Amino acid sequence: MFLAQLKNELWKLFGKKRTYIGFGAFLLAQTAMMLAFKYTRWQSDFEKLLNGNGYLASEFISVLTVSVVMLIPQIMLLMPLYATLIGGDLVAKEAEDGTLRMILSRPISRARLMFVKWSAGIIFAIVLVLMLNLTALGFASLLFPWKGMFVFLPGQAFCVLTAHEGFIRFLMSSSFMAVNASTMVSVAFMFSCFNMKPSAATILALSFLFVSMVMENIPFFDRYEDFFITHHFKCWLLIFRDPAPWPQICQSEIILGAVCATAFIIGAMAFQVRDIKS
Amino acid sequence: MIELSHVVKKFGGRTAVDDLSFTVPRGEIFGLLGHNGAGKSTAIGMMLGQVWPTSGEVKVCGRDIQSQRSEALTRVGAIFEAPVFYDYLSGERNLQILSTYTAPTSKARIREVVEWVGLTGREQSKVRTYSHGMRSRLALAQALLPKPELLILDEPSDGLDPEGIHEMRQTILRLQRELGLTILLSSHLLNEVEQLCTRIAVLQKGKKVFEGNVADVKATRGKVALKTNNFAEAEKILRAQNLITATAEEKFITLAEGRSTAEIAQALVSAGLAVEGLWQHEQTVEDFYMNLIKPPPLQKN
Repeated sequence: MFLAQLKNELWKLFGKKRTYIGFGAFLLAQTAMMLAFKYTRWQSDFEKLLNGNGYLASEFISVLTVSVVMLIPQIMLLMPLYATLIGGDLVAKEAEDGTLRMILSRPISRARLMFVKWSAGIIFAIVLVLMLNLTALGFASLLFPWKGMFVFLPGQAFCVLTAHEGFIRFLMSSSFMAVNASTMVSVAFMFSCFNMKPSAATILALSFLFVSMVMENIPFFDRYEDFFITHHFKCWLLIFRDPAPWPQICQSEIILGAVCATAFIIGAMAFQVRDIKS
Repeated sequence: MIELSHVVKKFGGRTAVDDLSFTVPRGEIFGLLGHNGAGKSTAIGMMLGQVWPTSGEVKVCGRDIQSQRSEALTRVGAIFEAPVFYDYLSGERNLQILSTYTAPTSKARIREVVEWVGLTGREQSKVRTYSHGMRSRLALAQALLPKPELLILDEPSDGLDPEGIHEMRQTILRLQRELGLTILLSSHLLNEVEQLCTRIAVLQKGKKVFEGNVADVKATRGKVALKTNNFAEAEKILRAQNLITATAEEKFITLAEGRSTAEIAQALVSAGLAVEGLWQHEQTVEDFYMNLIKPPPLQKN
């Protein structure tokens, strides 16, 4: 029965157009960035960076390198927006539309309903990341060859890898990205369970992430960076360090998993005691 | 089927439902009346476990709605005013989605219900293409899916045209006749309540101000409509002969105990007054309701 309920929740989620706004925006952004990389000074600047570090640029301007270059700004800027948009809709939109009242005239328990909805949100986050990574690889492979991988982000990541090793790291980074997206969806879901409009839930979740990011970047809070979830979001890039700092990555993943679970529990408890009225 | 016992619901400092108690036995069509904000929807919300009572006890199908909500609602269907669905999905998909919140439902059962409500042929169309009447039928279909014993209807005719209201009324009667359902109906349409319900409760500012049989409401013993060429003179004559105890609106008289309309006619004709009409007045639920909830007249000083 749970699977049937989850399937129907996914029907609801993927049946409406606004779910695809994020997918469409990512496709547009990727196309624009890839063309910009290919046909502006971006590529030549990148080649200079490689050559300056003693690498042969022609060996590392590849599908994997360009994919990560395209993904970084999208993960930083677009992902929180679209993940929280969907998370904020999960409960609050149904309450606003009135369909929640119809669902709650049925014998399903509120806790189960919340778990079904949250699970659907997590699946959406995973699908969004999968699609994002696949299209990044797909678009990049149209214009660039399959060669070695180079990732350079001052203070965060640096690696030079073979195509095979680079692809494995890319896949691992995708799974960490999915955890990030799931955490964003969970935070928005939590707000969505309270008595508020879907847009308010989305804005609150975005504000929460934004405040976390701002505080994390204030030098005073350097020693407390582990307390900011946006700090742990960066672990998808840490995998590109050589060697990968596994203890740090595992710690961040566990913390993000705990944030997801906590957000779900708070949301479900708030929903449990709420009165649902027209 | 429904038992409310001293139920109170407060939203902050505002009391929406105040010490409400009533029982709806199996097989009855029970009407819940009251103006906007009287507490009808809150009461219905508490019956469905959507609104938690501040105090008191609500039992549906013999089970406490707070501690045994799932068991209590297994054989309950509900329709709310202005039925809302997932507009971007088909009618059938909506029914499939809603049915999974109760129990696994076969496609044959969905087809059966779609046919019962007269939506066959349109079930694959997106709900956004449905008229208001079709949405009401779909709402009825979703309520009937779990083979309910109890149907809770919260303003089911809201927004329907006269034809739709008539259709809904016939459907409610058919539901009770053919499926033997117990029905709780909340409505603003007093003539609808009069035609459908066997018993009613009236809420005012969250309090129950009346509960009783519709037949008793309509039976206003001794109230007679009188049409004559001089009502004031007629009143004087009838009072002098102790035939009546009261008059109202210059058209109604209340007969004294043991007196009949024949005696009234005889007295008036003997006095030379023309009696153009004299008949037992049957009060409508609307008359009753308006009298019940009308504010008391302002007192001077």
